Amino acid sequence: MKLLVPVKRVIDANVKARVKADGSGVELANVKMAINPFDEIAVEEAIRLKEAGKAEEIVVVSIGPAQAAETLRTALAMGADRAILVKVDELVEPLGVAKVLKGVVEVERPRLVILGKQAIDDDSNQTGQMLAGLLGWAQGTFASKVEVAADRARVTREVDGGLQTVDLKLPAIITVDLRLNQPRYASLPNIMKAKKKPLDEKVPADFGADVKAKLKVIKTEEPSSRKTGVKVGSVAELVDKLKNEAGVL
Amino acid sequence: MNFDLSEEQRLLKDSVERLMLDSYSFGDRRKYQTEKRGFSEAMWARYAELGLLALPFAEEHGGFGGGAVETMIVMEAFGKALILEPYFATVVLAGGLLRLGASEAQKAELIPLIAEGRTKLAFAYAEPQSRYDLVDVETRAKRDGDGWILNGSKDLVLHGDAADKIIVSARTAGDTRENDGVGLFLVDADAPGLTRRGYPTQDGLRAADITLERVRVETANVIGDPAGAFPVISRVADEAVAALCAEAVGSFTQMQAITLDYLKTREQFGKKIGSFQVLQHRAVDMFVDLEQSRSMAIYAAIMAVESDASERERAVSAAKVQIGRSAKAIGQQSIQLHGGIGMTMEHSVGHYFKHVTMLDTLFGDAEHHLRRLAALGGLSGDQRME
Repeated sequence: MKLLVPVKRVIDANVKARVKADGSGVELANVKMAINPFDEIAVEEAIRLKEAGKAEEIVVVSIGPAQAAETLRTALAMGADRAILVKVDELVEPLGVAKVLKGVVEVERPRLVILGKQAIDDDSNQTGQMLAGLLGWAQGTFASKVEVAADRARVTREVDGGLQTVDLKLPAIITVDLRLNQPRYASLPNIMKAKKKPLDEKVPADFGADVKAKLKVIKTEEPSSRKTGVKVGSVAELVDKLKNEAGVL
Repeated sequence: MNFDLSEEQRLLKDSVERLMLDSYSFGDRRKYQTEKRGFSEAMWARYAELGLLALPFAEEHGGFGGGAVETMIVMEAFGKALILEPYFATVVLAGGLLRLGASEAQKAELIPLIAEGRTKLAFAYAEPQSRYDLVDVETRAKRDGDGWILNGSKDLVLHGDAADKIIVSARTAGDTRENDGVGLFLVDADAPGLTRRGYPTQDGLRAADITLERVRVETANVIGDPAGAFPVISRVADEAVAALCAEAVGSFTQMQAITLDYLKTREQFGKKIGSFQVLQHRAVDMFVDLEQSRSMAIYAAIMAVESDASERERAVSAAKVQIGRSAKAIGQQSIQLHGGIGMTMEHSVGHYFKHVTMLDTLFGDAEHHLRRLAALGGLSGDQRME
């Protein structure tokens, strides 16, 4: 079985994001970038499936600027086999990404596409679902447990108020949640091996995809900072404040 | 000159830094400190798993052929987290002696053990009278049939109490302070006649004082020429200084970041203290010291493998002078800017200061290296003092 894992290059989760002075977006110049944490979990899950003998090959794909090759190398150093970089310099919206991925799926013919449930930069949470829609494949989103058999996958989903298990017919799309696994660190032996693994460069046109932006960003602003709290003397005072000041009771 | 890291170096940096971020918070460190040997065996196993313990060794011995820049990357990440494990003692110091001095048979036996995390080593070089002089060796090794008998004592053996084997420098010929006549002997930590007294160093790591009384070492366990090991020791010491400089830069980076964060948080007279210009000046001075140290640490790492001894020593000494001075400058500023809280055991910044103070004294403090640099003709080599 072949697995396809799309990965996105985003601001490192440990860096505090800042809004550009003109409000047109988030400042990316000289900011540490890294693989999207949810995508990293997807790569880890693919590697575990391969280690368990359920998959033979893991192909990672990234859609983004030339530097996204670094993100792909990180995935290769974790244990993926081959990488495809679809080079685009401008921002690509989820639908554009899904269209490119559909093209990649048609060429690569994986049985399973494992994605992060969302990227931590725009928090869209759309690509996996859109890709399933475009391909007409089954989807198991927000996975916290994945079991794969010959032609079916059982996915435990984290939903409001509990867990839901869905049984998917392959080929299928899985988007992963935070608690699925703990991604490994790239070890030196794997870093050395990653150097020799193939990384193909493509453009969206190779997959017949249109990635033109359909949305317009009007403004970007930082969330308002938290105001200083007050200490209350008693439960009665708290209830009074909740009722009369906050108006939530 | 291009100072960008290669793809592999970047991945190594990412990997180690993430491991530290996930498993080596200040709270984790305090927990590890209470373990039996004063550090985390579990973390040691993680280092082995990631290949860090095999980093500098040649590929034919199961290593990864990493150079001084790779060691710099790892040591800087370790310095940021203030790690307690004997990486420096085992991999940089003892590992360096094996790499540069040991026979093929010795390497084939020991390096895989180090790489897998099964054997920890220490290097016993300092003696009560030796100060920073590596050639000042009074511990004696006398021929005894087909082996050697060692007598003497060694001080401040870094992680000597956790080591499985200890490499001891001992004199086989000549007077104390003569370059010729020093050998390296690999001794089992539980060898008859060897006693060690372990203790915590002021920065919370561990060291041991070692006494050798008629300790027998077989010829097979002599590393290199029993009377000509000093060139190897001095090369390894230079590499070690480069590694310590990188570790210090990691610690400085954290001290500066923690202090800056404090300036932006702490309020006094109804304002953030970072808004006071006098404190801003101090913060800028810290940053300048940090960046000067970083540049010198990179220079030392690049020059640490230079075969021309004089060029190598000049670069390494110049870097150690900068690191020693900055340790004091950054350390004092960060404590001052924190006020009382910076002195407490509960706050990390004081622990960083203690550690970088320790790094300053290892293998020669700033003053020692300034003297060596002056004797070598300064950084450019043509300003020799008469």
